[in-house]
Amino acid sequence: MLTLANVDVVYGGVIQVLRSANLEVREGQMVVLLGANGAGKTTTLRAISGLLHADHGAVTAGGISFAGRDITHQDPSETVKAGLVQVLEGRRVLEHLTVYQNLMVGAHLRRDRAAVKSDLNKVYDFFPALPALLNRIAGYLSGGEMQMVLIGRALMARPRLLILDEPSMGLAPILTQQLFRTIGRIKREEGLTVLLVEQNARAAIAQCDYGYIMEGGRIVLHGSRQELEGNQDVQEFYLGLGASNERVSYREVKHYRRRKRWLG
Amino acid sequence: MIDLLQILIEGALVGLVYGLVAISFVVIYRASKIINLAQGEVLVVGAFLLWTFSEGAAAAGYAIPMPVVIVLTLTGCVIFGWLVERTIFRPLIGQPAFTIFMAGVALLILLRGLTQLVWGAQSRSIPVILPEGAITLGPFLVNTRLLIGALFTVVLTVALHAFFTRSRLGLRLAAVAEDHTTAQSLGVSVKQAIAVAWVLGTVVATSAAVVLLSGSILSLEVAVIGFKALPVALLGGMESIRGAPLAGLIIGILEALCSAYLDPVTNGAASGLLPYVAMVAVLLIRPYGLFGWRRIERL
Repeated sequence: MLTLANVDVVYGGVIQVLRSANLEVREGQMVVLLGANGAGKTTTLRAISGLLHADHGAVTAGGISFAGRDITHQDPSETVKAGLVQVLEGRRVLEHLTVYQNLMVGAHLRRDRAAVKSDLNKVYDFFPALPALLNRIAGYLSGGEMQMVLIGRALMARPRLLILDEPSMGLAPILTQQLFRTIGRIKREEGLTVLLVEQNARAAIAQCDYGYIMEGGRIVLHGSRQELEGNQDVQEFYLGLGASNERVSYREVKHYRRRKRWLG
Repeated sequence: MIDLLQILIEGALVGLVYGLVAISFVVIYRASKIINLAQGEVLVVGAFLLWTFSEGAAAAGYAIPMPVVIVLTLTGCVIFGWLVERTIFRPLIGQPAFTIFMAGVALLILLRGLTQLVWGAQSRSIPVILPEGAITLGPFLVNTRLLIGALFTVVLTVALHAFFTRSRLGLRLAAVAEDHTTAQSLGVSVKQAIAVAWVLGTVVATSAAVVLLSGSILSLEVAVIGFKALPVALLGGMESIRGAPLAGLIIGILEALCSAYLDPVTNGAASGLLPYVAMVAVLLIRPYGLFGWRRIERL
């Protein structure tokens, strides 16, 4: 459904952030993209959604296609219309609008009023806390509530592929768990395809069908959930488990990681 | 007492008309984050278009009926607003604020020059569009033209507020007003929204010109209204449609009181100064204006 083929992204004409990235998301899958800070995850997502422009970035090589169409240099409004909707990182609600207005902005490209209404009810069903918040100003919600508004708003656009950039950032572990469960439910019930970027590797891998791991602007590893869970490096770097499945301290991981990078 | 109330009524009506011009600032600012310094000149261009299609055309031997004149004028200013956005401000998207500010100053001077070049420096008379005279309400005399203008401001405010909170296009503009990147990620074409805002702002400014100038004299000096309405817009809050007429009421009434009681002892300086004094005073306490968007900071 979504394919990135050898994509290079350069910021400001000089700084190369993405090197020959290859990634594929199949219809109905939940794909997770993992990596440390600065690995290029957000850049990858922005390249897909056509939002690099604001940061003076550009795709300089390779191509991105969605549902059989080349979207490499497409205007974001066209991409959204085609059914690819991204929830940006950092809880970007429309601060001074109400929750209801936020949700309706998500549906601004749609003319099918009846379907919009039924989608709104679906959103309330996925996030039962939302109906009570409809008239609240979105900027004053709590982090967890904002995340519900953001995902709900994205769903109002009726996406075929939903891209989530670190939805768990700053949320308590229990909320993160709930959030991932809801995302899994939405994916199953709506037949949605999901591309998820996460720092919270354990929870993300547990939910995914397939995963990619980035480092230094490259995809360094990919595989199905079972492959990732069984992989030694993933266990050590991202799940914090040693060779014998004991937890390793962060210090050791860091040390090991540095050594590994130099040697490899 | 009757005198005082009469002053208050007049002040309120004039203030609401300031509010109308202030709305045109607000509409443009919301989408583009640009305070258009040349808004007064934009209003004058709208007024000259109105003159061209009415008196100007009549002098050339074509008498156009008034409703058609209005439609032609509005069409003209839609094109004009779109041109200003397209040729001056769109190429500057993403440039530093100071560059945009200088472009605003340049536009102001440019429009003054162009207006003089196209229409000449002499003053022109605008035909009577809104009814003249005054209606008596009990002991008070209310200027009909201003009353209609004030009512128009109120209706427009309600309509625009509904537009920005309910309609699809309005919500798009509201999203752009909040944050350009977020709006883009939702599939809103930011460029299109800014163009719509400029057209809307120009149309509102021209409708203010109709209210202000119906049956009176148009000259380049009318552009001063822009700088009278700017403090109103700042006071109401640059993002708030509903703040503009309310701030207009405050400024209008204060100005009327000043000109009745303070001007005689200050050689007429007090009422001209007042809007700015009130604006600075309020901005010191609430930098985002009375109803503007306060930045929501969370830790």
